[in-house]
Amino acid sequence: MMQIKPILAALKRHKAGTVLIALQIALTLAIVCNALFIIRQRTEHLSRPTGLTESNLLAVSNRWVGADGKATESLTETDLAALRQQAGVADATMINSYPLRGGGWSLGADTKPSDKDNVRRPTAQTTLYFTDEHALSTMGLKLVGGRNFRPEEVRWVDPRDFETNVPVIVSQALATKLYPDGHALGKPVYLSSTKPATIIGIVERLQVPWTGNWAANFAENSVLLPFLLQGNFGNYLVRTRPGEMARMTKAVPALLFKTNRMRVIPEERGVRTFAEVREQAYKSDRGMAILMGVVCAVLLAITAAGIVGLTSFWVGQRRKQIGVRRALGATRHDILSYFLTENLLIGAGGVIVGAALAIGMNLWLVSHFEMERLSLAYVAVGVIALLLLGQGAVLAPAMKASRVPPVEATRSV
Amino acid sequence: MLKMTHLSKVYRTEVVETYALRDFNIDVKEGEFVAVTGPSGSGKTTFLTIAGLLETFTGGHYHLDGIEVSQLNDNARSKIRNEKIGFIFQAFNLIPDLNVYDNVEVPLRYRGMKGAERKQRIMDALERVGLASRAKHYPAELSGGQQQRVAIARALAGSPRLLLADEPTGNLDTQMARGVMELLEEIHREGATIVMVTHDPELAARAQRNVHIIDGQVVDLSEEPRFHAQNARVADA
Ligand SMILES: Nc1ncnc2c1ncn2[C@@H]1O[C@H](COP(=O)(O)OP(=O)(O)O)[C@@H](O)[C@H]1O
Ligand SMILES: [Mg+2]
Repeated sequence: MMQIKPILAALKRHKAGTVLIALQIALTLAIVCNALFIIRQRTEHLSRPTGLTESNLLAVSNRWVGADGKATESLTETDLAALRQQAGVADATMINSYPLRGGGWSLGADTKPSDKDNVRRPTAQTTLYFTDEHALSTMGLKLVGGRNFRPEEVRWVDPRDFETNVPVIVSQALATKLYPDGHALGKPVYLSSTKPATIIGIVERLQVPWTGNWAANFAENSVLLPFLLQGNFGNYLVRTRPGEMARMTKAVPALLFKTNRMRVIPEERGVRTFAEVREQAYKSDRGMAILMGVVCAVLLAITAAGIVGLTSFWVGQRRKQIGVRRALGATRHDILSYFLTENLLIGAGGVIVGAALAIGMNLWLVSHFEMERLSLAYVAVGVIALLLLGQGAVLAPAMKASRVPPVEATRSV
Repeated sequence: MLKMTHLSKVYRTEVVETYALRDFNIDVKEGEFVAVTGPSGSGKTTFLTIAGLLETFTGGHYHLDGIEVSQLNDNARSKIRNEKIGFIFQAFNLIPDLNVYDNVEVPLRYRGMKGAERKQRIMDALERVGLASRAKHYPAELSGGQQQRVAIARALAGSPRLLLADEPTGNLDTQMARGVMELLEEIHREGATIVMVTHDPELAARAQRNVHIIDGQVVDLSEEPRFHAQNARVADA
């Protein structure tokens, strides 16, 4: 450490290399901090539970051919009856969407009549699931308060024209948001409407269809309505009996076609186990995380290689002066610590600039994209990691330098 | 001060073994000024690098200041180089990245000397070689003679007992060479032991004793009487 002043003095004579490596360290720090932060954000919700009992659950998407509107009511009812009678099927329901599906219905939920002109922001944002009294058992939702729908409460409606003044089941998260005192049962909820729905049941957890960051602040706000939607498109959820999953994945579409041929069940994503639904929902997040991880690894490797390269070059260039230093009394350890200290000084310059750059980069991301503020812990860990990386990278060339013999001083160049 | 007996140094390459020194015997007393002469390739530099602990030897014995140096490990040798020996090289060997002041400071830092004392010694040494005003200059900004005087200041600053110089004037013109020689004589008068390799007969003649090396061995040039006479003079003084 007593060598800092002369090392700095010598570095001033090698500005180009010094500044390049320091900048490389700075950029690497800035990018790696932000990338790791994004990876964390992208992956932390990968394991978020949907509230569904995801095993033994099939999702089927169905489109009627040559039938629409009211005509689809009886067709669907025939399908559901056939599914429920099938040995190997525990229960089945029709629903407009389901968690992790990606598309769905969302609107504002309030404890007071909704404001037509949208002057007041609603208390909460929520998704709407239109389904029947079989939803709870098919999806495997856990009712923690109140009751399920009664068969007579379930109605067919035209999706373009219905009133939501009906009994509804809400997720615990939405219930708490609307009624923080914990007494939501029997209370009204206005779903972008002046007429209230009534909360008759609360399920422990039910995720919205979307996984993106934009839906993060209402990820578990859901309302189940006792409506079946008319129209040529719908989703069936089918709960199979234990051990019947593989067989039902083939048997269910076969049964549906046998019931009625005038339909399309897409080859791709037409019949999916819920495990596949989950896998596909997070595919891009996982891909992004892997890509960023690879980018980080490559950047760190390049920076380490740059340090090894520059230091090796410097050691080669300074063989004579290393010999002179040894002749003047430097021990091997003195030479080793010279190069380690030199690297630490360059690294320190790099991480100071890099930390500022990392925060600046994050602020830019925050202002342009849906990003959270970078936690300083990431910067701190990144700073330490890069300094250690530098010391590790410089070790081999520094050891080589320490082995330059003192007699090198007498050799003519 | 410096005593080598039956010392040998072999350089081995894949194909040949070169005896750079063979059955080499020399005894330099404390306070002597010895000039070493000999043809090119005779082993003068090899002798100096071994004397200065820059290199190990193959056989024989070397006692420096009473210590058998073949027993010493690398750290102990570094410490002796740092504290007891000053080097002056033909090619000056200043560190190009450091200015004059920082160059002179190098051995003092390795000694772990305190800042105030370092500064005092550096300025004294630069004063002696007449370059105090050039402290902030870089080696490349100085003439050859000035660079060699900085190198001498660097060797002096640590107050070494033994000064080893390998053709210190070899790269200098006659006038600059004289200046350097006068400086060495002055240092010698203050008590340092000096061993200087030189090609210049005029400079060699100014030393107390001449040692001639041919083919890795010290040869007697019948200088014994002069050698004894001079030694006697030193002893009388
Ligand atoms: N590192 C070395 N490897 C092999 N041979 C060497 C090495 N250094 C010196 N020699 C050989 O040792 C002999 C003495 O060299 P040196 O001491 O440099 O002579 P001088 O300084 O008198 O010119 C020469 O034959 C030289 O080629
Ligand atoms: Mg030589």
